[in-house]
Amino acid sequence: MKSNLGIVFFPAFDWMISPTHPERQERLLYTRDQLLEEGIFDLEQIREYKPRLAEISDLQRVHIGIPSISRLITPAHLVSAGGCMTAADAVMSGEVKRAFALVRPPGHHAMRVVHGIRGFCVINIEAIMVAYLRQKYGVRKIAIVDTDVHHGDGTQDIFYHDPDTLYISFHQDGRTLYPGTGFPNEAGSPAALGTNINLPLLPGTGDEGVHRLFDGIIRPILDDFEPEIIINSAGQDNHFSDPLASMSVTAQGYARLADKLKADIAVLEGGYSVEAALPYVNTGIILAMAEMDYSNVIEPDQTGLRKQDEKCNARVDELIRQIGDLWTNRQKLSSDALAKCGESWSRRKNIYYDEEGISEEQVETAHYCKQCNGYLTIQTAAENTRFGSQSAFIVIVDQCTCQACRQKAYDEALKEKKTVKWQHVFVQDKSQGNIENI
Amino acid sequence: MLLGVDVGGTFTDAVLVNNGIIIKQAKVKTTQEEVLQGILQALDIVLSGNELDAISRVVVSSTIVTNALTEGKTEPVFLAVMAGPGMSTKGRFPTEPYLAEGYVDHRGQIIKKASVNEKIVEAMAAGKAVAAVSGKFAVRNQKNEQDLRVKLKETGFKKIFMGSEISGELNFVRRTNSAYFSAAVYNKFKEFIGQVEDSVRSRGITAQVQILKADGGTIPLAAALEQPVEAVFTGPAASVLGIEALDAPSVNAISLDVGGTTTDIAFWSCGSPLLANRGAKIAGYPTAVRAFHMRSIGLGGDSRIRKTDKGFEVGPARVGPAMAIGGKEPTLSDALIALGCVSFGDAGKAREAMRSLAEPDDTVEEIAEQIVLAAVTKIEDTIAEMIKEWNLQPVYTVNDVIKGTEFIPEKLIGVGGGAPGLIPVLAMKMGLPVEIPVGAMVANAVGAAVSRPTLTATLRVDTTEGYYIIPEAGIREKIQRGFSRTTAEEILSDWLLEQADKWQMEARNVEVMAYEEFPTIHNYYTTGKIIYLKMQLKPGILHTVTGREVAF
Repeated sequence: MKSNLGIVFFPAFDWMISPTHPERQERLLYTRDQLLEEGIFDLEQIREYKPRLAEISDLQRVHIGIPSISRLITPAHLVSAGGCMTAADAVMSGEVKRAFALVRPPGHHAMRVVHGIRGFCVINIEAIMVAYLRQKYGVRKIAIVDTDVHHGDGTQDIFYHDPDTLYISFHQDGRTLYPGTGFPNEAGSPAALGTNINLPLLPGTGDEGVHRLFDGIIRPILDDFEPEIIINSAGQDNHFSDPLASMSVTAQGYARLADKLKADIAVLEGGYSVEAALPYVNTGIILAMAEMDYSNVIEPDQTGLRKQDEKCNARVDELIRQIGDLWTNRQKLSSDALAKCGESWSRRKNIYYDEEGISEEQVETAHYCKQCNGYLTIQTAAENTRFGSQSAFIVIVDQCTCQACRQKAYDEALKEKKTVKWQHVFVQDKSQGNIENI
Repeated sequence: MLLGVDVGGTFTDAVLVNNGIIIKQAKVKTTQEEVLQGILQALDIVLSGNELDAISRVVVSSTIVTNALTEGKTEPVFLAVMAGPGMSTKGRFPTEPYLAEGYVDHRGQIIKKASVNEKIVEAMAAGKAVAAVSGKFAVRNQKNEQDLRVKLKETGFKKIFMGSEISGELNFVRRTNSAYFSAAVYNKFKEFIGQVEDSVRSRGITAQVQILKADGGTIPLAAALEQPVEAVFTGPAASVLGIEALDAPSVNAISLDVGGTTTDIAFWSCGSPLLANRGAKIAGYPTAVRAFHMRSIGLGGDSRIRKTDKGFEVGPARVGPAMAIGGKEPTLSDALIALGCVSFGDAGKAREAMRSLAEPDDTVEEIAEQIVLAAVTKIEDTIAEMIKEWNLQPVYTVNDVIKGTEFIPEKLIGVGGGAPGLIPVLAMKMGLPVEIPVGAMVANAVGAAVSRPTLTATLRVDTTEGYYIIPEAGIREKIQRGFSRTTAEEILSDWLLEQADKWQMEARNVEVMAYEEFPTIHNYYTTGKIIYLKMQLKPGILHTVTGREVAF
C-alpha cells in the first residue's frame, strides 16, 4: 500500500556545534520523544526510511568548498544531505505521496562557495536534493517555500540565476534578525528575475498574518508557476517560544500551513525552542503531511503567545501588492534587465560567517549566451578561515553549457591561473559533481 | 531435572531433561475442548518411572492466551486513557476508550491532573469487571495513572492494569493496547494457570511452575498474572529456544520451523535469537510486548496446492495429510516425496497426486519441482521482507549510519517435520549451508524446559527535577547529588535482582540494553541531565540439550 508520508528521521545525537549552542546534540531529543510516544511510526499512513550517506560528488553538484568541501564538513553533513536524497527517492519512486526529511545539521544559510560554517550551516541540503532530483529524475521546475524565520540567504544565493527554481521565503524582517538580508528587491538575476521572492514580516507576526500572506500571494504564485515538485524548507523558528526570533506562530499555524502547502518534500531547517515548540510543530507538520487529523496538536504551555499587532497585517498587505506586481510583470522586467546588461551581469557580495568570524568578498558574474544558459565565474577572497586567508577563481559549467561557452570558461580559468593572483583555480562541472583543480 | 510442556494447536509435547539430555519425551494430541486432559496425558508418559522430587522446575508454554485473543473469547474491558493534546486516538485501540482529563508533558510535568466524569464512567463501566488505564507520557510521571486507578478501584473494578507498568518505553498507544489486552485475558488466564498448577500438583510435583513469555524468558505463574499479555505468542518463542538449546548457530543464521500448517522464521546473531525492533502486534494492534523477530507464514507439509494463472500456489490453507499417507488432496509433502526429497508413505500415491495437477505433456518431476520452487520462493520473499524490516532500526547517531545494522544470513537451520525435505532446497536456492539438528521434533518443549527467567525494567532520571523513576515498579524516589550512570545501574540492577529473589527465579547476570544521557540546557546554561537506562535479567537457556530421535 502506498503510504501518505515517508519520514527520514535523523536527530544526529552525536553532532553539535558546541554543548550549549542552539545546534546541540539534544535539539531533536524531545521531538523524538513526542513522536515515539504518539506512536507515529506505527501508523500505516507513515513509512519510515533510514538516511543514506551522500557522496562528495552529490555535494559538488552544488558547492565549491575552499580548499575543498571534504575538509569543511563532518560525517553528519553527509547523513543529513543523504537523508534528503532518501526522501526524494521515496517520493519519486512512488512509494509515498510525500516525504519529510527530519534531519540535522541544517543547510539554508550555506551558499554556493563554502569557506566554513555560517548560520549553523555548511552545506545546503535542499539545494543538494534539488540537484539530485534534476540529475536522477530529470525534474525541471521546482518551487522551494522557506518557512524558517531567518532568510534562507544560502538557498537564494544558489538559485539566484535559475528561472526554473522558484524560491519563496517569508521571514522576520532582516533589519531585526540574522542574516540581515531577504528584501523584495532581491528578486533574482536578470535571467531569473521574479523567481526569487522575499517576504520580510514584522516581528510579532502570528498565524493570522502568515496565513493571510500564504493565501494572498504564496498560493497564487505557486499555482501560476506550476512546479513539478514543491519543497518546504521547514524551519520552525517562527514559533512564539523560539529563543532566537520574535514571531508568534503556533504549532497549529505551522500544521495548517503544511496542510495548505502540500509540499512533496519537506526538509527541517531551524527551530531552537527544542522543548516547547519542536515536539508539537513537528507532530503537527507530520500529521498534516500524512493527511491526518492534527487539530488537537496544541502546545501545553501557551503563556508566551501574544496576539499579533495591527501593523503586521498592514505589512502583509503591502507585500501582497508589491510582490503581486513583481510577479505579474516579471517577464518584461527580466527581458528589460537582460537587454540593459548585455553579455554579462555581475554582483559583489560581502559575506560574513558568524560562526567562525570569516569575512568573504565575492564577485559573481553570469555570462549570457544565445545558444545555452551560459556559465558563471566567481572570484572569492576570505579572511580568517580555518585555513588562513583563502582566495579562488571559479568557473561553473553544466551539461547544458554549449561547446563555445565551455571553451570560453576554461580559457578564462587558464588565464586567471597564469596571473598567480589566486591560491586555487577551480572548474566546477555541476552535472558531474566534479571539481577540477586547474 | 527440568520438565517442559508445550501446548500447541495440534500437539501437546512434554520433555524431561536431565543434565542436558532429553531422558523422556511425549507427544500427544492437544485436546481442544479440555486442554488439561492433553497436558495430564503427556505428563503421565514422561513422569512414569522418574523421581518426582528430582524435578526442580516446570515450564509451560501455551497458545491459550493467543487463542483466546484470536477467537475473540475475551472479556469486555473498561479502558480509560489520558491522551492530552496531540494525535487523535480514534481507531488506535481495540475498544472505544473513555477519554479522561489529565496530561503529562515530555519532561514529566503534570500539565493537568487526572479527573473523570463519574456519571459517564459509571455508564461505560456497566457490566465490566476489569479495566485498563493509560496516559501519554505516564512513563515520565505515573501520578495521573495511579490517581485514576485509585478512582476506578472505588468504582468496583476487580483488576486494573496500568500502561506505564507494562513497559517504561515510550509509545503510549502500545502501552495502552498492552494494558487493554492484559485486562481482556486476565480472568481466562487466571483460570488456565490455576488448572495448570492443579494438574502438576495432582501428579505429585512440588517444584515451581513457570510460564514462557513471548520474549523467550520464563516467569513464575503468580508473577505472570501481573501482565498476562506477555504470555501470548509463546509457541514460536519456545521453538526458538529449543533451537538455542539443541544447536545454537554461532554465525548470523535463519531458523525455519516447518510444521504441517505453518513455517515460523526467526533470525539469529552471535548464538542468540534476535528480538524484534518493536513490540508484537496482537489482533492487528501494536503492543509493547517484547517478542522475537519472527514471522509465521501459512506454509507447511500439509499445505494445499492450487494451480493459478501465475503458476502454483502453496498454502495458506491446510488440507493434509499428504495423499501419500492417505489424504484426499495433493499437498506440499506429496511434491517433496515425488521428488525424493523425503521418503515416507506411498511414493506412488504422491506421484499420482502430482499427475492430477499436470498437463498431458508435463512430467511428474517437473510439476513437483515447480511446486517446491513456489513454496521455497514464498519463504525467500518473507525472509527478504524480514531483512528489510530488521534493517529499519532507528538511526540516531552518525555512528549508527556508518557502522550499519544490516543482517546478512550465513546459514539456515531447519526444524519441525517438514524441514528435512524443504529447507535443503531453500538453502540451495539461497546459496547457504543448512543444518537440521537432531531432536528437532520436540524443540518447543525442550525450549520451554531450559529457558531462563527474564525481567526487564527501565529507569529515568531528570536531575533538574530531582527524582528518578522506575515505571515497571511504580517507584519514584528523590536523587542524591552526583547521580551518575553507575548509580543508575546499581539502583536498577538491585531492583531486578530483588524481584528475581522474591519470585525465586534463577537469575544470571543483569545486562544493560539501552543507555542514553543528555544534558538539559536553559538559556545557554547546562542545568542538569537526563539519563535513560534499560536493563534486563539476561535471557537465554540454562544449558544446551542433546537430543535423540524417538519414534512416537
